[in-house]
Amino acid sequence: MVLLSLPCWLRSRLTDRFWRVQAVLKHARHFRGRKNRCFKLAIRSVQRAFVKTTKARRKKKSFMRELWITRIEAASLEHGLKYPAFIGNLLKCQVDLNRKMLADLAIYEPKTFKSLAALAQRRRQEGFLAALGDGKEPEGIFSRTVHHY
Amino acid sequence: MASYTKAAQQWATFARAWYLIDGKLQPPGKLAAVSVIRLQGKHKPMYHALSDCGDHVVIINTRHIAFSGNKWEQKVYSSHTGYPGGFKQVTAAQLHIKDPTAIVKLAIYRMLPKNLHRRTMMQRLHLFPEDVIPEDIRNNLVEELPQPRKIPKRLDEYTQEEIDAFPILWTPPKDYRKT
Repeated sequence: MVLLSLPCWLRSRLTDRFWRVQAVLKHARHFRGRKNRCFKLAIRSVQRAFVKTTKARRKKKSFMRELWITRIEAASLEHGLKYPAFIGNLLKCQVDLNRKMLADLAIYEPKTFKSLAALAQRRRQEGFLAALGDGKEPEGIFSRTVHHY
Repeated sequence: MASYTKAAQQWATFARAWYLIDGKLQPPGKLAAVSVIRLQGKHKPMYHALSDCGDHVVIINTRHIAFSGNKWEQKVYSSHTGYPGGFKQVTAAQLHIKDPTAIVKLAIYRMLPKNLHRRTMMQRLHLFPEDVIPEDIRNNLVEELPQPRKIPKRLDEYTQEEIDAFPILWTPPKDYRKT
């Protein structure tokens, strides 16, 4: 509906400006400086903060994976194995634990992790024997895989 | 876990340990690589960058470190005093004479992550040119880490039995003369 005369134009006024401003400022209350109080500075910071939050959700996944890998590397070095050897040999044994579970086991179940490290070490030795041996020795026990097809 | 109470276990997990490394005849880069892992806390499965889980590292005999190759003459440490004409370049040998701990200290400082934790981690590093350590640091030491480089034996360090037991690789002809 088009309001054609001046008094009609002035009739509607914004009455909830306070709450619209507060809806933005509530996300800026923990910021430093004037941008936690003043709306014009706050909307800029709040918009950037929301964009950063959105982008960080993707980066969080890779950051967490790096952290798990660092922790697994530390724990496997305690047992004398390097991380690539540990992970590769566990995969060859068809132990499909992901890095999150391995890191949690390393922190809270140290004996379980030690047995996993021993398994990986044994599979590694069997792999060396299979590659470097003459083929006269029998196949390794832990090198046997289960085929699901 | 049966003999620990939970509080004692947690105290032990979060405690800061003191490690000792002997730098005699070791390359400073490898010493730094081992120390940096311990200073950051990356040798612990509960590592996190914000947890402040680094340990103390004490390196002794930094005066006797050994660079490979010609690095004592060729490696250059540069600095600038900030004043014009104040660009100083010193070879590793000159720097080592001036300050025997500086090479290892710079190697570790440059290997640590370049953030605000670096200065705290450098505070937890203790370097000594000889193996004279203060009493209180010596009482704190927990473990000695193995040296990163295997020191080869000199010819006069081999016993006569080992020299005799070494297999003969070739027999010299009768008219061979050692010059």
